[in-house]
Amino acid sequence: MFRYIVTRIVWIFIVLFTILSLTFVLLKLAPSYPPPTEEQRLQYFDKQVSDGYMEFRIIDEEEEMAEIRNQLATRTTMKGSYYDDKGAMIRAFEPIPVGEQYLQWLKNVLTKWDWGQSTRIEVGRPTFDILKDRMGTTLSINIIALFFYIPIGITLGIIAALNKNKPIDNVISIAVMIMISIPSFVVMIMLVMVFGYQLEWVPSIFPAKDAATIIRLRGLILPVLAMAFGPIAGLTRLTRAELTEVLTSEYLLLARTKGLTQRQAVIRHALRNALVPLVPSIIFSFVGILSGSVIIETIYSIPGAGTIFIRALAKNAYDYNMILTSSAFYTTIGLFAVLLVDLSYGIVDPRIRMGGKR
Amino acid sequence: MNNQEKINQNLSKDKFDFVQKGQKLYDQKIEGKPIGFLQDVWMRFRKNKTNVNASIILATLIIFCLIMPGLSGKEYVKIDEKLSFLPPRVPVLEKVGIFDGLVEKENVPADLNNFDEELGLYYPLDENPKAVVADTLTNETITSNEKSESVQFGQSLLRLDPGSESVLIESTDFLAISASNNGYIEIDVYELNGGSVDVLLKTDFAGDPEVVYTITEAGKHQIKPFELNPDLYADIASKLQLQYNGTGGDTVAFTSVSVMDDSSEEPILFDEGYRLSMYTILDGAGSYQRQNGQLIITTFKYNKYIAAFDVTHEIAFSSAEYDALLEEYGDSVEIIENPDNPEGWYFSEGFPIKEVVKKNDSVVVDGETYSSYEVYLDYAKYLGYDDLPYFLFGTTQAGRDLFSLVWVGLRTSLFLGLIVTTINVSIGVVYGAISGFYGGTVDLLMQRFSEVMGRIPWLVTLAIITVFLGPGFQTLLFVMIISGWIGTASVTRMQFYRYKGREYVLAAKTLGAKDRRLIFRHILPNGVGTIITSSILAIPGVIFTEAALSFLGFGIGHGQSFNIFGLKFSGVSIGVLMSDGRNFLSTYPYLTVYPALIVSILMITFNMFGNALRDAFNPSLRGVE
Repeated sequence: MFRYIVTRIVWIFIVLFTILSLTFVLLKLAPSYPPPTEEQRLQYFDKQVSDGYMEFRIIDEEEEMAEIRNQLATRTTMKGSYYDDKGAMIRAFEPIPVGEQYLQWLKNVLTKWDWGQSTRIEVGRPTFDILKDRMGTTLSINIIALFFYIPIGITLGIIAALNKNKPIDNVISIAVMIMISIPSFVVMIMLVMVFGYQLEWVPSIFPAKDAATIIRLRGLILPVLAMAFGPIAGLTRLTRAELTEVLTSEYLLLARTKGLTQRQAVIRHALRNALVPLVPSIIFSFVGILSGSVIIETIYSIPGAGTIFIRALAKNAYDYNMILTSSAFYTTIGLFAVLLVDLSYGIVDPRIRMGGKR
Repeated sequence: MNNQEKINQNLSKDKFDFVQKGQKLYDQKIEGKPIGFLQDVWMRFRKNKTNVNASIILATLIIFCLIMPGLSGKEYVKIDEKLSFLPPRVPVLEKVGIFDGLVEKENVPADLNNFDEELGLYYPLDENPKAVVADTLTNETITSNEKSESVQFGQSLLRLDPGSESVLIESTDFLAISASNNGYIEIDVYELNGGSVDVLLKTDFAGDPEVVYTITEAGKHQIKPFELNPDLYADIASKLQLQYNGTGGDTVAFTSVSVMDDSSEEPILFDEGYRLSMYTILDGAGSYQRQNGQLIITTFKYNKYIAAFDVTHEIAFSSAEYDALLEEYGDSVEIIENPDNPEGWYFSEGFPIKEVVKKNDSVVVDGETYSSYEVYLDYAKYLGYDDLPYFLFGTTQAGRDLFSLVWVGLRTSLFLGLIVTTINVSIGVVYGAISGFYGGTVDLLMQRFSEVMGRIPWLVTLAIITVFLGPGFQTLLFVMIISGWIGTASVTRMQFYRYKGREYVLAAKTLGAKDRRLIFRHILPNGVGTIITSSILAIPGVIFTEAALSFLGFGIGHGQSFNIFGLKFSGVSIGVLMSDGRNFLSTYPYLTVYPALIVSILMITFNMFGNALRDAFNPSLRGVE
């Protein structure tokens, strides 16, 4: 068991490392977008030099200066480089090879936890701080959605399974089909339109941090509903399937023959066994909710991690450090969910002993 | 009759007969028809009525998206600002009062120059009176302090800023006070809270304005400059200046300023309400506002269709179009002289252009001459409608028909879904087949690779591809493909693990079949049912991703178009339409509702169809009710 856990953890870290390295290298190869103003740009390039991603030198030889000026005029300078022409000399910032930058980046992240500075969103601010400010909002909404949808989904699933092929089951099945099919962003837009704008029961955009608590609580209603909409259906369907299977099993028949009532048999035996396989799917659905919440955050102007990601991806104003940090955030959460699922499989089902001795 | 009774009943011997007495059973044809695999599938498919209905709706949607844009005959490409935001109008339902193309307009300022004698009501400002549904028009008077022409009466309030001791305002017009007719100024002061008002006039041309009178209390003040100053000999033509002296916070409110003389009963100049409020502050610190003004506002139902398709006044109507129209109508058009306007002319009934006011000056650009006409145009006829058209889902901001657009968008979405799924399935099948067939290290490595690919969050994929390619069709395609094939690959791999150990594979292998033959001719066909159903169930997912990405602005958009296999598609998809409608959620909700409705129906029916297909193809359900 121990070996299984260790194998999974190591593997997850390998995947995480691979994805982040790939992202870093690819982003470094893309055209660069330094901050918009002169002053911020100089500050940014200084930081790049001190972080070890660029080399700084002063060019004061006439010949070389003339050549650089010529390159500047014809836009044939080295990719990602920056030249500050002071007249008598040129301050040159030139990137070092991507491979070396990568090692430097690893060192910065691992030793100093330095993810770089934002270049477009909040110029000059460490990206991890920006993300940290917004992580809370995103995670809290997602966790509320999680705790909102689990009981509803399981209850509906149990009702459907116990009333299999009766009208109530059919109604639930149709509702599940509808809920699972409608895209979450369509649900969110419709909710905002009906309850935000037409009926005005809830705020039509996410309330600001300094708003009254009651308004902020009401602001949570729509995103939570929209995020839970699909997962409720998924969980209901799964619960129903698992429970119907268990209900026809022999040990349940045995329990009934021993004299337990239907209710006792269902609660003591069937439910416990049916709910175990749900655990992994619930963990996975959290990842699904999290990545789906990006669109919902954008629609409802929630100042969360997703909004910042989309903003960092504004056309021709890409904020690479921000993208990288956010990518790390989403990848890590996704992978740790996978790890949890794997571990829970191992604990729940003793037949799974990947990497262990058979 | 239960089974026991059936057994116990007495049946006579001669009711029984040997079936095969004296016959040989072999080589005999089987009676009844064999049921083929597909027939079996079809029978099971038909059994679930809900799913069949869903499939019928899905088929209808697909047919609609192929034919509807052509059938509706409405414009969905060109931009026509005149037709923007027309509400939905549906032929039968409009009689009941819904979807009738009317919008409710509330609190629109009235047009004081447009009074309907019959109704005794004012028409709204800046709206086409023809399009106002007359029996829904109501007027209401409210108090308003706005400095607007529509606001009548009330007073103008001059207030000294804290710390300020005087403020000077000046009239907009020159006051003409005639000496011979004993002209005088009448100032009606409504209220005076502290301080005094000096009235200044320029009594001779060269001099500065001088104080002719001082107001110290409220009420009507007649200022007769010729009596006050007998030295004046000529008429006065001067702007009026009012200087308010007092301490900070003091106010004075004027009701009117008028110039009277003996020549007529009516005042020669009468400034009140808006005109009085337009006096400008020349000097000093203070504010000049209106109070207690009256604004007539109207509330009514407005037929946007009549307004949009009415006769319009086009300042520059291109001559190319003008000539084309003339040619199209040919001899049926007659030009009628306009006696009042020698530069222009009329056209006979039935021609889209009612009247030409004049021909504009030509401009020469790059050696080509462009000219235009100033015309009155019957817009409905110009666009080829004899009656007011029905835009079933209304029109967008650009004046395009939403009904056509929804189907065009659906077509793009569906087709993209199909293309992407085809690509994903092709990659996935090959990958899964190799990985499943060879097993061992190859399988292990390939599985690890696909796991890494599958673990990249879509946001990260989106980010990387966007920074290289920018938002657009290619980005969309890549994002959907990079992790899209993994599902099919794992399904295929599973099927291969299931079948590769079977005897028939071994037999084929013994007969010398190559790996390729084993994979594609022997194993794959057995697993194809599962693979097909899983791919069909993947299409809604692709449509969803496409809609979501386009909605966020990373996918396709207006103005884009792309060619796939010789088919040209516009850049409009359901996601694009929803993203358009998003800015008008509160004002024009129908722009969002219709695309949302259609895409929801599509997803629901597609999922139900996929499920039905899966149930039908799944042999484990054979014989199970």
